[in-house]
Amino acid sequence: MPASCEQVITLAGDLHARPAGALAVAAGQFSARVSLSVGDRSADAKSVLAVMGLGATSGQHVTATAEGPDAEAAVAAIIAILAEATRVGA
Amino acid sequence: MNPDARVGIVLVSHSAALAEGAAELAAQISGGTVAIVAAGGTEDGRLGTSAAKVERAVKLADAGAGVVILPDLGSAVLTVRALLGDPGDLPTPVELADAPFVEGVVAATVAAAAGGNVAAVVRAAEEARHARKL
Repeated sequence: MPASCEQVITLAGDLHARPAGALAVAAGQFSARVSLSVGDRSADAKSVLAVMGLGATSGQHVTATAEGPDAEAAVAAIIAILAEATRVGA
Repeated sequence: MNPDARVGIVLVSHSAALAEGAAELAAQISGGTVAIVAAGGTEDGRLGTSAAKVERAVKLADAGAGVVILPDLGSAVLTVRALLGDPGDLPTPVELADAPFVEGVVAATVAAAAGGNVAAVVRAAEEARHARKL
């Protein structure tokens, strides 16, 4: 049975194109399915355009969810990128 | 084949500035680990496309994992198709992606940076057609 993992982060800044790219590149390294959701919208974290299309902004809660054997590591990587890349002044 | 080699990307535009600008943008978003080579304009600097430029760009972009080509419009497609129909000593595999130019190169480059093969990179580029901006 595949592992699943979920974690929520509150964005400290807007999710711009560059962090969206870093996030999709990182998500693409994992075999787990990885998705991001904000409110009632969700996106495949491996698709940079879908991630940008979320239009996630400062103060919003983003949920990273992964399903698959490396789900835990995938969520940890995604949350770390969201924390670092949306830091004010980053 | 080097397992760490990334698929290379070639941008074929009628405009050298457009191809170079799209390459610059995609490199920023994808983190700069993928070879993105612009093949825009004619050999003498006019608007148009050049098979010789595309051929050089494909050879430059290949790191051992193959190349995906994104054309902007019209005769850019014809130029690439003619070249791929008579590939000579071009590296393989080389595939032409049917995708919006800006979104396509961003999606393709991110897929290449994540280690995707030519088929995965083409698929990412072609899925860009369905991505909503708003």
